[in-house]
Amino acid sequence: MIDRTVANVTCLGCGCACDDITIVVTQDRIAEARNACALGIAWFGDGTVPAETRVNGRTASLERALTEAARLLTGATRPLVYLAGDVSCETLREGVAIADRLHAAIDSLAATAATAVLAAQRRGRAGATLGEIRQRADLVVFWAVDPSARYPRYGSRYAVAPRGVAAPQGRKDRTLIAVDVGEALGPADADGRLAIAPADEVDSLEIMRATVQGRTVGEEARFRAAVELARRMTEARYVAIVTDGEPGTTSADPARAEALVTLSQALNAPTRCALSTLRGGGNRSGADAVLTWQTGFPFAVDFARGYPSYQPQAGAAALLGAGEVDAALVIGAPAALPVPVATALARVRSVVIGPRASAATFQPAVAVDAGVAGIHEGGTAFRMDDVPLPLRPSFEGARAALVTVRALRERLGP
Amino acid sequence: MSKPTQLRIAGGTVYDPANGGGAGGADGVVRDVCIEGDRIVAELPASARRLDARGMVVMPGGVDIHAHIAGSSVNHARRLLPEEHAADPMPAPRLDDGAITRSGSGGTVPSTFATGYRYAGLGYTTAMEAAVAPIAARHAHAELDDTPIIDAGFFVLLGNDDYLLRQLGAGEAARARDYAAWLLGTTRAYAIKIVNPGGVEVWKGGGDRRNVSGLDDAVGSSAVTPRKILEALAGAANALGLPHPVHIHCNNLGQPGNAATTLESMKALSGQRAHFTHLQFHSYGGAAGNGWSSAAREVIEYVNAHAAVSVDVGQVMFGAATTVTADSPVEHLLYASSGRKWVNVDIELESGCGIVPYAYREKAAVAALQWAVGLELFLLANDPWRVVLSTDHPNGGTFLSYPELIRLLMDRAYRDERLKRVNQKLLAGSALLDGLSREYTLGEIAIITRAGPARLLGLKTKGHLGPGADADVTIYASDSDRAQMFAAPRYVIKAGTLVVEDGQLRRAPAGRRLAVRPEYDAAVTKDVKRFFDQYACVAFENYGADPVA
Ligand code: SF4
Ligand SMILES: [Zn+2]
Repeated sequence: MIDRTVANVTCLGCGCACDDITIVVTQDRIAEARNACALGIAWFGDGTVPAETRVNGRTASLERALTEAARLLTGATRPLVYLAGDVSCETLREGVAIADRLHAAIDSLAATAATAVLAAQRRGRAGATLGEIRQRADLVVFWAVDPSARYPRYGSRYAVAPRGVAAPQGRKDRTLIAVDVGEALGPADADGRLAIAPADEVDSLEIMRATVQGRTVGEEARFRAAVELARRMTEARYVAIVTDGEPGTTSADPARAEALVTLSQALNAPTRCALSTLRGGGNRSGADAVLTWQTGFPFAVDFARGYPSYQPQAGAAALLGAGEVDAALVIGAPAALPVPVATALARVRSVVIGPRASAATFQPAVAVDAGVAGIHEGGTAFRMDDVPLPLRPSFEGARAALVTVRALRERLGP
Repeated sequence: MSKPTQLRIAGGTVYDPANGGGAGGADGVVRDVCIEGDRIVAELPASARRLDARGMVVMPGGVDIHAHIAGSSVNHARRLLPEEHAADPMPAPRLDDGAITRSGSGGTVPSTFATGYRYAGLGYTTAMEAAVAPIAARHAHAELDDTPIIDAGFFVLLGNDDYLLRQLGAGEAARARDYAAWLLGTTRAYAIKIVNPGGVEVWKGGGDRRNVSGLDDAVGSSAVTPRKILEALAGAANALGLPHPVHIHCNNLGQPGNAATTLESMKALSGQRAHFTHLQFHSYGGAAGNGWSSAAREVIEYVNAHAAVSVDVGQVMFGAATTVTADSPVEHLLYASSGRKWVNVDIELESGCGIVPYAYREKAAVAALQWAVGLELFLLANDPWRVVLSTDHPNGGTFLSYPELIRLLMDRAYRDERLKRVNQKLLAGSALLDGLSREYTLGEIAIITRAGPARLLGLKTKGHLGPGADADVTIYASDSDRAQMFAAPRYVIKAGTLVVEDGQLRRAPAGRRLAVRPEYDAAVTKDVKRFFDQYACVAFENYGADPVA
């Protein structure tokens, strides 16, 4: 194919979903991913993907693979559908339809942020789209996260550097505070920082909320800096609290996630505040959105009774771990599966349709390679803040995940 | 090619007020309704298939002029309500043709498939999603694609849009109009929506001010006020010849004494076509800190006297609801007073989103007042063509409560019975207590639930049963319990397909999308792109809902 450049490409390397990437293709390889960060460059790679179709490890026709996949899935008593990364919302919609048809359990990559999602279901949230943080925030508090590692352009595109309506000078108009909780450090170049011991984190958030609400709190020395920060927040015009929704060095304590929500909500009485919960890439926010609109629940849904029921404590990892599942369908890239899911998949018969399916380490019974959404296939993906973005493929010709998944659904019959 | 299906709906009592029958409270007319393909036709050969509708009531399919059914705000609300969804599961219905259907869940904010099936089950075949932020238009379309059977469109939020407000501040009226036209087209929207003009922008701005309180408050620069926003967008909708005029959610929603703001807003647009939505939430007397009362009579009398004004009521129904609106400062107040779950999402450069789950209790004084105000508006309205039935689903109650609302309007004895049970504390000035005796006729119901909204939306092939109309027809078995009757149509036909029979879903075809694409001076896009390059976090080329590349 001829050399070309494709502009305004959306990257799914992380949840930032930067849509300002220019892809330069020379001699059928990605030569350049302009504007992308290192993570993004790695995500785009050179644009090559395998195009294998395998049944039990041997090359097979697509026809045979789909027949075998349908046989395996319809024959299962407890099928699981897993929505993995790098597929479009259009493909995800087909995936949920398959789970519905099979009366299967379904889960997705969005479940990695379960702690934050569940806290928001209990309390709601005070939030903003990333662009509004850019326009408004004059005080940005990084709570135990430095986005530069896993969300490299979060600062340059959204919360730190760019000029906004109420921050005409960009970085200069914003004060950045790093809250270091144990090993989980905020950005190195913050204007101020404080350290909180992990054991004190939830209490600190509660005391900050009490301060914001004007309730008197004891002046214990270990909370003094947090109280001071809370006061400072109430004096800002628009506070953004940035936290990582994905697992890592921070605690998965539900009380912590809830305390972040309620603090940010409480700050909206004296001033304005948005909590920005960072989420990973691969269109996992799309999986959350699609599952929510089709079933009413964001992840860990079970269709076993013929209708969706919510099983947040019994998601894919738990079901697989308990040995309940006898066949699995993975839609999306197996390489980015959470480790417990990938490990457990080795013990069941599985079908994988997605980018580099044939390279899945857990040896699926049926593997059908597809292109990567956003590189070889168009459609829609969601940014971490639920903003939908179109995908602009820079290659044609790779087998589309959408077409294959739809073909499988059709094969399953009504 | 096979011939289009023919169907004669024979011998029913037809309420088709747009074509004369049933208008002004007249009784229906016994006649046949003929369908060929997806259209109503004047006549069919005697050999055409017949559906015996003798003794039944035949109406055009229902048209919902204002509901929150799809898009990012609605999905935030769904995500917030797992308990409701768990309590109202919906297995996939089985269809005659064996086609695939989908399971889902209900509650006040149902899943998309449940929304489509349940609207159809109610005899509604068209619905308008009332508030979509332009940046999330692609999302709203995807959800509507997953909402079967009903024809649907959405209104795009413009009343707090940063670029628009800049144009108004700079006196660039023509550019503001071109922008509105471009935005409608690129988002594939149907109409312009204003929510709390300027108020959401002030809320997002932080600082001491939380909202605007009146039409002449400054929004950023003093050159921009709620009044200017109303005038500019009402003018734009009319100048662009949009099928539906600007759709307005006034300032001060839910506040005591807000009737004054509502009337001022109507007067500000005097002589121009404008639709004022969920009027009930904007028709209160009293003053902040000094009690609430009904100001329904004052407001509806103004509407009665001004033919360019249309409204939908936004009736409150007792029971569970979810308040979901772009009017985010109001939701913060509601959260502060209810202390329940609260979602706020500030939407970049455009709008806001606020959500609080809620319940209206008949023993609660304010809820009882709201209920009474809505009914007063209906009962004191002179022209049913301009006063549409709505509950602002799911804000005042869900669309599934429409049959109960119809009964309240049609059955005075029932209404009076209900009235006795509600909290009387704030009802002192309510006309309901004076014993409003009006009972809506079936003809009037046909107007406020289909003919009227279709006409106000400019949907020429909807809301009536004349030749050329869409073959969207609802057939009810007559029942003196009107709630029963309207909750369970005997047959529902959508685009010529029998979709519901005796409460069972038979077919679930996809609905059509309703959208406009007005003309504009393309020069505006250069300026918008410049603005995007400066401030936006989405590329201009990726914005909107059109397919890319
Ligand atoms: S920040 Fe994330 S989305 Fe943006 S270029 Fe880097 S990896 Fe891609
Ligand atoms: Zn509404």
